[in-house]
Amino acid sequence: MRRRLPLAACRLAGLVVGLGWAGLGLAACTSQSGSPSGIANAAGAADFEQNNDPLEPSNRVVYAVNDALDTAVLAPLARGYRAVVPAPVRNGVHNILSNLSNPVVLSNDIMEAKPRRAGDTFMRMLINSTVGIGGIMDVASKWGYPAHESDFGITLALWGVDSGPFLYLPVLGPSNPRDAAGFGADIALDPFTYVSGGAWTIFGYTRYGVTAVDTRERLLGEISSIKKTALDPYATFRSLYDQHRAQVIDTVRHDNRSTPPSWYPQPAPATGEPSDAH
Amino acid sequence: MLTRRTLLLFTVASAGAFALGPTLRPAVAWGQATSGGTEQISQASEFVKRTGNQLIDIINEPGSMAEKQKLIAPIIDKAVDVDAIAQFCLGRYWRVATPEQQQAYKQLFHSVLVNSISGKLGEYTGVRFTMGKSVARDDGVVVSTTIQRPNNAPTAVDWVISMASGSPKIVDTIAEGTSLRLTQRDDYTSYLAHNNNNVQALIDALKRQISG
Repeated sequence: MRRRLPLAACRLAGLVVGLGWAGLGLAACTSQSGSPSGIANAAGAADFEQNNDPLEPSNRVVYAVNDALDTAVLAPLARGYRAVVPAPVRNGVHNILSNLSNPVVLSNDIMEAKPRRAGDTFMRMLINSTVGIGGIMDVASKWGYPAHESDFGITLALWGVDSGPFLYLPVLGPSNPRDAAGFGADIALDPFTYVSGGAWTIFGYTRYGVTAVDTRERLLGEISSIKKTALDPYATFRSLYDQHRAQVIDTVRHDNRSTPPSWYPQPAPATGEPSDAH
Repeated sequence: MLTRRTLLLFTVASAGAFALGPTLRPAVAWGQATSGGTEQISQASEFVKRTGNQLIDIINEPGSMAEKQKLIAPIIDKAVDVDAIAQFCLGRYWRVATPEQQQAYKQLFHSVLVNSISGKLGEYTGVRFTMGKSVARDDGVVVSTTIQRPNNAPTAVDWVISMASGSPKIVDTIAEGTSLRLTQRDDYTSYLAHNNNNVQALIDALKRQISG
């Protein structure tokens, strides 16, 4: 699972679930601080430490429920979406959703104190909302402002907050207390959360629904191949989630590019330019 | 007043550095050109470029998926140090396994890995890749590439190249931060932990996977 599945049946429910689970996770974290019981040997204890998953039994139950829901509802929807809607339209939909998430991304870029990333996001909003016709086309990527991941979970990590134990959340999937709290905070940071009533309410639900289907459609191949080839899909998803989050946080942490944009005269880079292989 | 605050800050900072010391050390080792130096780096990067171009020539040619997979398998076989990855993926269970189990597992792992890689690559079309920078690490050289496919966002893939066998061999691929061998090891060790730490159970599961 490359990205956390950002699906919420309801914004508020998501917030409550996110924060509720974060609290539960933290409580469990403190109660589990001693050596794990029920693990006989030192090697087993090492595995336990490494997996950072003291709630594994309950996490696996949630995983099984999510998996059943996914098999029954979300995956068929995603397959139908792929079958019915042609790829260029799906790309347009994806671009619109990505453009709508830019205010949250920008807020986090700023809180992460990464001016160049914030600038990239700002330019993406500006270019794609205008030249890209309300975000349908991702012109900004072609003009040197590629999309990047940014959320409050990453921001908290940069502020020094530890992830806490691995958590498998209902509907939302793999997470941890930090990222779950981040999910809730991102909803609070989203300006669209505060426009409601009439068409806006419908817009809000539609956006979350379409985001869920869009994300799932993009992961159709990967998830089905993991389920087919993994001996323990739960452990595989857990491993992929932890590794991916660590890498994203590392990328943001070390992205210390200077603020002048690419078209502004800059000193030549010290190392050689990457060469084109093909 | 000022000095006392500076002293306090210094104490806190050094305590922090002490606590972080052990975790920082691997990061430092990453950046250093350890054994071999620049020649090994360029050798590894050349190897990735050559192998990548070989694969892409097959992938982007017209032809059925099965035909492509048949052509890709021997290249993967030669370029990848399958035995080293197999041993890595069994983690601590490698030492627990009997020599016969090790042998059986290695053979099964070989078909699992080559099938899965050639199967995945065979599905692709219109692939392009660009070479990035290469960095020496204590277990080999990490060569960065970016892979582009139509209708997909560019994917950053790092190749870990080991010289342990004398010639450059792939020992890991890291796609968007997720390591193939680490993910595989987490899968296998978790499976074993839930099957009474019995290596035979894993071997049987792999057999089922290949035949299924």
